[in-house]
Amino acid sequence: MKYELVAGFETHIELSTKTKIFCSCTTEFGGEPNTHCCPVCIGLPGTLPKLNRQVVRYGIMAGLATHGEIAEISKMDRKNYCYPDLSKAYQISQLYAPLSIGGYVELSSGKKIRLHHIHIEEDAGKLIHQHGDTYVDYNRGGVPLIEIVSEPDIRSIDEAREYVEKLQQLMRYIGISDCKMQEGSMRCDVNISVRPQGSETLGTRTEIKNMNSINNIAKAMEYEYDRQCDLLESGAKVVQETLRYDDATGTTSSMRSKEDAHDYRYFRDPDLVTINVSGEEVEEIKKSLPELPAEKCRRYVEELGLPEKDAQLLTKYRNISEYFDKAIEGIKAPKTAANFIIGQIFSRLETEADKERFDIKTTPQQLNKLIKLLDEGKIRNNLAKATLEKMLDEGKDVTEYISESDMAGLDENTLNDLCKQAVESSPKAVEDYKNGKEKAIKAMVGFVMKNSRGKADPALAEEKIKGLIK
Amino acid sequence: MVTREDVENIALLSKLFVPEEELDALTKDMQEIIDFADTINNASESGESFDNINNLSNVFREDEVVESYKSEEILKNAPEQAEQHFLVRNRE
Amino acid sequence: MGTISKIHEMLVSKEISCEELTKSYLKEIENANKELNAYVCVTEEQALTSAKAVDKKIASGVEIGMLEGVPMTLKDNLSTKDIETTCCSKILQGYKPIYDATVWEILKNQNAVLLGKTNMDEFAMGSSCETSCFGGATNPFNTNHCSGGSSGGVASAVGGNIAPYGLGSDTGGSIRQPASFCGIVGLKPTYGAVSRYGLVAYASSLDQIGPITKTVEDASIVYDAISVYDSKDSTSRGKCGANTFDTLNNDIKGMKIGIPKEYYEGIRDDVKEAIFAQFKVLEDLGAEIVHIELPAVKYALPVYYIIACAEASSNLGRYDGIRYGYKTKHYNGTHDMICRTRSEGFGEEVKRRILLGTYVLSAGYYDAYYKKAQNLRGTIISAFNKAFESCDVILAPTVPMTAFEMGHAVSDPIETYLTDICTVPVNIAGLPGISVPCGFNAKGMPIGMQFIGKQFGEAQILNVAYKYQQSAKENFKDTKWGVKL
Repeated sequence: MKYELVAGFETHIELSTKTKIFCSCTTEFGGEPNTHCCPVCIGLPGTLPKLNRQVVRYGIMAGLATHGEIAEISKMDRKNYCYPDLSKAYQISQLYAPLSIGGYVELSSGKKIRLHHIHIEEDAGKLIHQHGDTYVDYNRGGVPLIEIVSEPDIRSIDEAREYVEKLQQLMRYIGISDCKMQEGSMRCDVNISVRPQGSETLGTRTEIKNMNSINNIAKAMEYEYDRQCDLLESGAKVVQETLRYDDATGTTSSMRSKEDAHDYRYFRDPDLVTINVSGEEVEEIKKSLPELPAEKCRRYVEELGLPEKDAQLLTKYRNISEYFDKAIEGIKAPKTAANFIIGQIFSRLETEADKERFDIKTTPQQLNKLIKLLDEGKIRNNLAKATLEKMLDEGKDVTEYISESDMAGLDENTLNDLCKQAVESSPKAVEDYKNGKEKAIKAMVGFVMKNSRGKADPALAEEKIKGLIK
Repeated sequence: MVTREDVENIALLSKLFVPEEELDALTKDMQEIIDFADTINNASESGESFDNINNLSNVFREDEVVESYKSEEILKNAPEQAEQHFLVRNRE
Repeated sequence: MGTISKIHEMLVSKEISCEELTKSYLKEIENANKELNAYVCVTEEQALTSAKAVDKKIASGVEIGMLEGVPMTLKDNLSTKDIETTCCSKILQGYKPIYDATVWEILKNQNAVLLGKTNMDEFAMGSSCETSCFGGATNPFNTNHCSGGSSGGVASAVGGNIAPYGLGSDTGGSIRQPASFCGIVGLKPTYGAVSRYGLVAYASSLDQIGPITKTVEDASIVYDAISVYDSKDSTSRGKCGANTFDTLNNDIKGMKIGIPKEYYEGIRDDVKEAIFAQFKVLEDLGAEIVHIELPAVKYALPVYYIIACAEASSNLGRYDGIRYGYKTKHYNGTHDMICRTRSEGFGEEVKRRILLGTYVLSAGYYDAYYKKAQNLRGTIISAFNKAFESCDVILAPTVPMTAFEMGHAVSDPIETYLTDICTVPVNIAGLPGISVPCGFNAKGMPIGMQFIGKQFGEAQILNVAYKYQQSAKENFKDTKWGVKL
């Protein structure tokens, strides 16, 4: 039998606020153990949490970026479970009234992965297990998180991969998280089940916890899909359980021991008051959001006439698209700018991380000047290309490489002279051309371009050379 | 009806050991307290919504860093510590 | 009587130096504490250092504040930097906080002289102070009787003149009940009036810090000092009005005092009679006694136990032997260590309440208990609001009885819980209440009654309590113990 995969995601994203969610300790990554701590975040008796305003704002931004509805009233709840990384034996989170309800993430196919909700909560500390002993560091304890909970709308590993990438892209665009999976600032739990193709009912799901790379997610889902299919094929049942993925063996295994009976006993945190978000505030935040990648991409295609593929590449990272937007200000042919970026500039940025950083010597204003010269016909494309290379090397203005006289164009007489010289110095090419070899003319045009230092109009030169040969 | 299993389960959730010989007495105790608590379920009033005691909302802190405590202070009361960490040895 | 105003006058007039004064308190603590068991920790060195600083200030001719140089005590659930804070629980043995509770920070800044930390029921769970791991504090009127609880140590110390005043906490009556048992004054402020930052949480939505004093004016002075907005506590509001001291002596002519009949059902006769006798005193002052109904308070006690235990079960989860406090000696693995630490570290009553709280929050029971209790909380609040349409303050017994004999409180849990029946409604509704002595029973044990005010109506209840005190001084009796000024 063929089985369909059904998956939903719970994605934890660390917010890039300056301070923790309930105290004023820094959220900086790393640091000596237990140096980013205070009585509040190590849960000393008598301490009280005070909610960081920015966390709520970032949460609302995440909600708006995913088309969610921002709850007018939301509340903080306690999720009770006792574990050494949790200094209060409860995590302050949201269950009964989360910040953002519904919404979706759109995949490139146009399919929408619906979201159940987004809530804000605190991260736990870090445990290091060594020879059976446990070392506890609370630096990360209290770092703000949002949890984005999707509906079980994902039907393939490719969709899963794209969903995570899209979330990452969105959250980075709106600047609320760096979403670095390797540093743990983005972590995914996947709920996964299988069902016979065509079936409408959901199968029993398992949950794979805490995965921190897209490749691991894909591998874990693949393994789990196969495992569940095999179980069903053999007539066995899938047991609802929480699993961990082991990268080394490429397998999943059960996480639960009988010690942790799980019943989180959620209830409203009496130490914190209601969050009341007004319609005006939502509007204000909506206005402050940057243009989102999907809208940007659509605009590039529809308004600027860029090919879909180019638009995708340019909008992948906010740095690139913002660079592009600045570079094309007042430009007639944005395609030229797109070509420069996707061609010459991208070839200098080897990794995805380089592209995301987009740390290049030429400013968008400098590129804009160069393109304007092209636009106005003052320089030719190949001169522009060569100049851009030098600009990218040295970071200087276009005027450093192209003089006024370069831009003045070639006067008629000089062009005539150069064409004459080209014909005279290449008898072989003339011969070939006369024998019907159309391409032979290119060598002579090349001569003109070279000797005019790229200033000649190649089409005009070709026309004149043809005239001379006849 | 509070059962022995209920008490065992909530003891586990509460991270408390209840010695086998105390289980019956505790179950009985719990049953009495729960019966007492159950009187609220005879209330004819359906109850009114309750949010928080002073109906407060939007009490926030600004996102400004204040220097953290020194790790010696953070660890000062730890029953056991090592390498600037709180330490839980596997067994003692 | 060693009241705050008296001590202030003596310091200002240089009748006594702050150091002499402090030494005499320390000496009397040494004498009396053996029997009263009020203090669990005496901070002699710190007290003398603060006292000397105040003397220096007085000598230099600088004017001093009302609380400056006045010795005092704190209940052992208030966080004091570098001073052991145990909540009288084995599980917090040896814990020395690295920060000060806001109330202590305020008083420290006013150069209060801390004599030490006082006894209490373990984690404030109890009504006799006897669940303390140090044993209960006794009653200064008769040391065969308990001090009441949970702030029994503060009440015993103030009643026994080994502290002029102290701060306690009141979750279901823990300030008012021991004040009533010890024949003194205890004010439980409106929820949010005093910052809870640094008060080791029992039930966060009910806990409130307040003064235990010998007189109403002292309660007013301390309340005015500590009811300050605190940015560290999200539920903090401050006093929401002028200083209560300024209106203490206002005329109460025409003030309507509501007598809710539900509060007087099931009350011991001697208590009931003592309070009824005070109606005339109040009427003579021009107040009007009106009889009212508050039917919703019949749910107060179960609602209280459900909410308090639920919150407690969560608040007390953090005592796991990792960051502070007691840790078991022998164990096998982290889970075992945590369970052993908690089982050995907590006393029976605390464990019972944690289990009950866990039960009412657990899957399948949340709606029937916790959610229902929260809804009834709303009902009780509305009932009080409605009652206050026909009266200005409410007068009720503080406790249905007088102080129990030592060892007689903790036999039956439900029976013990019933002693809180008159005090818990105020916590559920977040209202202020002040207990004042109103007479003695045949055995000479004090009886208390409480004035309950509207939200942030502290000025009004302190006003009526003060006027009452001035007309009923015979009920404010001193004991044989401690410092005589």
